[in-house]
This record gives sequence, C-alpha cells and structure tokens, in this order.
Amino acid sequence: MGRVGIVGVGHSKFGKRNDASLRELAFEAYGAALDDADMDSSNIDSSVICSATHYDKQRSPAGVVAEYLGLNPQPTFNVEAACASSAVGLRTAWALVSSRLHDVMTVVGVQKMTELSSEEIQELMGRAGDVMWESPFGTTMPAYYAMYATAHMARFGTTEEQMALVPVKNRKYGSKNPNAMFQKPITAEEVLKSRPVASPLKLFDCCANADGAACLIIANAEKARKLTDRPVWVAGLGLASSPMSLAGRKGPMTSFEVTKNAAMSAYQMARVSPNDIDVAEVHDSFSITEILNYEDLRFAKPGGGTRLLEKGETELGGKIPVNIDGGLISKGHPVGATGASQLFALTKQLRGEAGSTQVDGAKIGLAQNIGGIGMYSAVTILKA
Amino acid sequence: MGFEKFGRFGYVSQTKINPLLSYLEKGQIAATRCKKCGRTYFPPRAECLDDRQSAIEWVVLDGKGSLITFTKVFFAPPAFQPETPYLLGLAELSNGFRVFAPVSPSVDEKQLKPGKELNLKVARGSRDNLFYWLE
Ligand SMILES: CC(C)(COP(=O)(O)OP(=O)(O)OC[C@H]1O[C@@H](n2cnc3c(N)ncnc32)[C@H](O)[C@@H]1OP(=O)(O)O)[C@@H](O)C(=O)NCCC(=O)NCCS
Ligand SMILES: [Zn+2]
Repeated sequence: MGRVGIVGVGHSKFGKRNDASLRELAFEAYGAALDDADMDSSNIDSSVICSATHYDKQRSPAGVVAEYLGLNPQPTFNVEAACASSAVGLRTAWALVSSRLHDVMTVVGVQKMTELSSEEIQELMGRAGDVMWESPFGTTMPAYYAMYATAHMARFGTTEEQMALVPVKNRKYGSKNPNAMFQKPITAEEVLKSRPVASPLKLFDCCANADGAACLIIANAEKARKLTDRPVWVAGLGLASSPMSLAGRKGPMTSFEVTKNAAMSAYQMARVSPNDIDVAEVHDSFSITEILNYEDLRFAKPGGGTRLLEKGETELGGKIPVNIDGGLISKGHPVGATGASQLFALTKQLRGEAGSTQVDGAKIGLAQNIGGIGMYSAVTILKA
Repeated sequence: MGFEKFGRFGYVSQTKINPLLSYLEKGQIAATRCKKCGRTYFPPRAECLDDRQSAIEWVVLDGKGSLITFTKVFFAPPAFQPETPYLLGLAELSNGFRVFAPVSPSVDEKQLKPGKELNLKVARGSRDNLFYWLE
C-alpha cells in the first residue's frame, strides 16, 4: 500500500451564498486548491464529487461539476454519506491512489442548500433517519441529537450551561476564520436565551445550513514529493457504521458506538493514540455532539467531556485544541463540504499556515465527521 | 391507502409488513417471529435474518416499556407543524425491543425523564392514519 499525501487544499466562503450556484462554489474551492498546489487540471487523473445530492437542484452533480472544473474526460463520480460525504470521498480516493489506479486525484466537497428553507431542509434531514419507523413521527437532525443530549444530561449530570461552552468557544475562533458563516463571537447567555429548537438544544447550540465547497488534491508519495515540498500525509482512515434507526442501537444513548469504532481503526492504522493528537476537528453539528465526540475519540472518559471544556483543554493553548477554525457551529454546515473543510483546516495547521490560530508545532491532526444521525462516522488522521 | 397510513405522516407506501396496520386497527401492536428459529423482530420485518427461507408469523406485544430518552420538538418539518411542539421518545419495551415513538401529549411533561415507565399504545390521527405512541 503506497502512501498518499495531500498536495493542495482550497475552501470557498461558507454561508448563504445567494451569489453562487453549485458548480461555481465547487470551482472556487477547486481553483484555490490548484493555486495552492501550483498545478493545473491536466495533472488530475480523476475526481470524486462529494455531496448529499437531495439538497442540490442538480441531480448527479459529479457530471456538471467535473465539466465546470474542466475535468473531462477523466473518471468522475459522486460519493454520498450524508454529512460525512467528503471524508468518505477522501477514503475512496485514497484507495484509488494507493492501489495505483490513479496517481493524482481531487476530492471536491460541495453543497448548495439555501435555495431551500430550513423547514424543507429539516424535512429531508428527518428522512436521513429511518423513513419507515422514525421519520413518520416528525424527526429532525436537531431532535435526534437532542435525544442524545437528554440521555447524557440524565446519566452524567451534564447541564445546558456546560453545553453552551461549545458554541462560545467555537464562535470565538470562528471570528478569526474569513470563510466562516458567522464571524461574531457569542456569549453563554445568548446561547442559553436563544429560542428552543429541540429541547434541550436551542438555536445557538445548532450549526446552520449553508452553501459552500472545500477541496483536496491528493497524490501518491512519489508525485506528492515532486508536486510540493510540504505534503501532509494521510496516516489513518477509520470508517464505521451503526444502525440508522435509533431503536436499532444498544446502550444508554450517551455515546456513538460508530465513532468509537471508526476511531479505533484510525488510531491503529496511524499507529497513534489520542494523546498524540496535536490538533483536532470534530463534528460539532450541535453543542452536545462535540462533547460526545471528545468522549468517543477518547480525549476524555465517558461523562468527562464537559470537564475537558471547562478546563479549557480544547482551547488554543490547551492540551488538545478542537475546532479552532470555528467548527460547523461558526462555519455553517454545507453537508457535503464539511469533511473536506475539516481536512483543509488540519492541512493548514500541519503546514504551520494557520496564522493567528496556529497550534505551535502541530505534527499530527485528527478530523472526525459524522454522517446523519451517526449511521456513518469517519475519523481521519493526518501527519505533517 | 398503503403503508403511508402508518405514522403522523407516512412516507413509505409499499412494504411486506402491511399486516401491522390490521393489528393497529384492532388496537394491538404486533411483532414478527421466525417460524423456524423463533427470533422475534420489532419493528416487524418480513424475513428472518438467519433463516431467509423460513416463514414468519405475527405476535402481539404487551407494550410495557421504560423511557430511555426524549426531546420536545419546536422546529418541525412542514407536514408536522400543525402539532408543533411535540414530544418524541425512545423506549425499551419489557421484552427488550426498543421503539422510537411520539410521547402522547397526555403525559405530564414535568414527570418525563429517562427511566419513566410508559406504555406503547395505538393512536389514531385525524387523517385516518394509525400509529403508536408512549403514554
Ligand atoms: C436551527 C435551525 C432550524 C434554524 O433555522 P430557522 O429558524 O429557519 O432560521 P432561519 O434560516 O430563518 O434564519 C433566521 C436567522 O437566524 C440565523 N440562524 C439560523 N440558524 C442558525 C444557527 N444554527 N446558528 C446561528 N444562527 C442561525 C440566520 O442566519 C438568520 O439570521 P439573519 O436574520 O441575520 O439572516 C437551522 O439552523 C437548522 O436546521 N440547523 C441544523 C442543521 C442540521 O441539522 N444539520 C445537520 C446536522 S448533522
Ligand atoms: Zn429464524
């Protein structure tokens, strides 16, 4: 198995992008990645377009995106794994490159959501739960995660005040990220007073729907070294699945088995332990999700996620800075683009290019990306 | 009308487990059981995972359960807005099955917490739709 390196990354501005269509968003990120890698499309052997396509007006978007990016006649196809689409896209491309079928590939995560209203989006997201046995009762993504929050609160005494520390932290760093949808910090009081969405989650506990794109260009080791003097290596890839239905899952609903399994594979493949991680991006779709992720990734013991937050260990300067690009809560969550956005942030960190949010001497980074209500979870470990 | 009759607002119309609707009509909640190995499935499924050629039979459940977790939904998809806010719960039934279901508005919310004993009962909606909820 050959090593695979990231040689270029690009990111569009995330948010309500009523100035741009799906293909144009994709081009912003792809163009930036080409500039970053200092190459042109003729070097790219194949593309993977990652999008949860039910939100896009375009059906089978790989077709039009590859055309607009100038990537015909090279192979292209779509990868969908809900919110984890582009992490799974990287896994797919990694396999194609390390098998030597292709030498250089691009992974484009892109989503155009805001042509739909939040109500329409939540109707579609609710159907990313079990459509026979759960969606007919009015499920939404906030409702599903809220059920994990209720269980965590009952079992570990977690409070809404503690959960509010997540958006306060992430929005603070989001204010330093020019690509983020929200660039204004918020206070715990604002979070606690915001309108209820699905109890105990309130507006500012939630990520927002957004338009945007993020792009990675990867290459085999030989090409990577030729193309750049600062490749970032894909060291660990973990992916697991869980029953889609909540009723099909076991245990007290205070953790995601799927993330624990994905983390185990990724740590093993990268030959690292949670202590070795210098900087992390975790899926903060909701405040509670970040707390569960700390525990499932073994940054904290079960029930200990809130302590880690309170002690500031996941802040810049703490033991393991998490989501210091602002996370989904600041950046917005253009479903298919989010995984690549996390890997964009890690690549910048591991190259030492993260500016005012640089983690000193970061060598190993971890990104964790949940799909839907946790039927998929991907953990990716990168090394400088 | 097919299986979309199931739920507050059903999506799937065609399935092999349609007989569930006739049990709900009678006020009963039913699971399927493999005639060969006896493995029981709830929500019902039409084939045994282990014995794909075996027939299944229907068995009625008693519906006793205890709440694992819940939420109150304020922001709902369009079809569910008339009933907003509403409660959703996940419960474990006495025979070990888990069920995802609405919590009936007749349950005192202040009493609602994980561990609370609730019963899964048949409910009927205003459009002649049928489902179950926790009360
Ligand atoms: C929480 C939510 C339902 C709110 O939607 P909404 O009530 O329709 O809000 P609107 O889109 O009408 O926006 C109203 C305002 O609130 C802001 N806003 C919306 N969602 C926000 C959020 N999550 N955080 C902060 N601000 C938000 C909007 O920017 C807008 O601000 P403006 O008036 O200054 O333009 C929506 O953000 C949502 O569905 N979030 C969850 C997305 C999700 O589940 N993703 C998958 C996770 S796995
Ligand atoms: Zn059987």
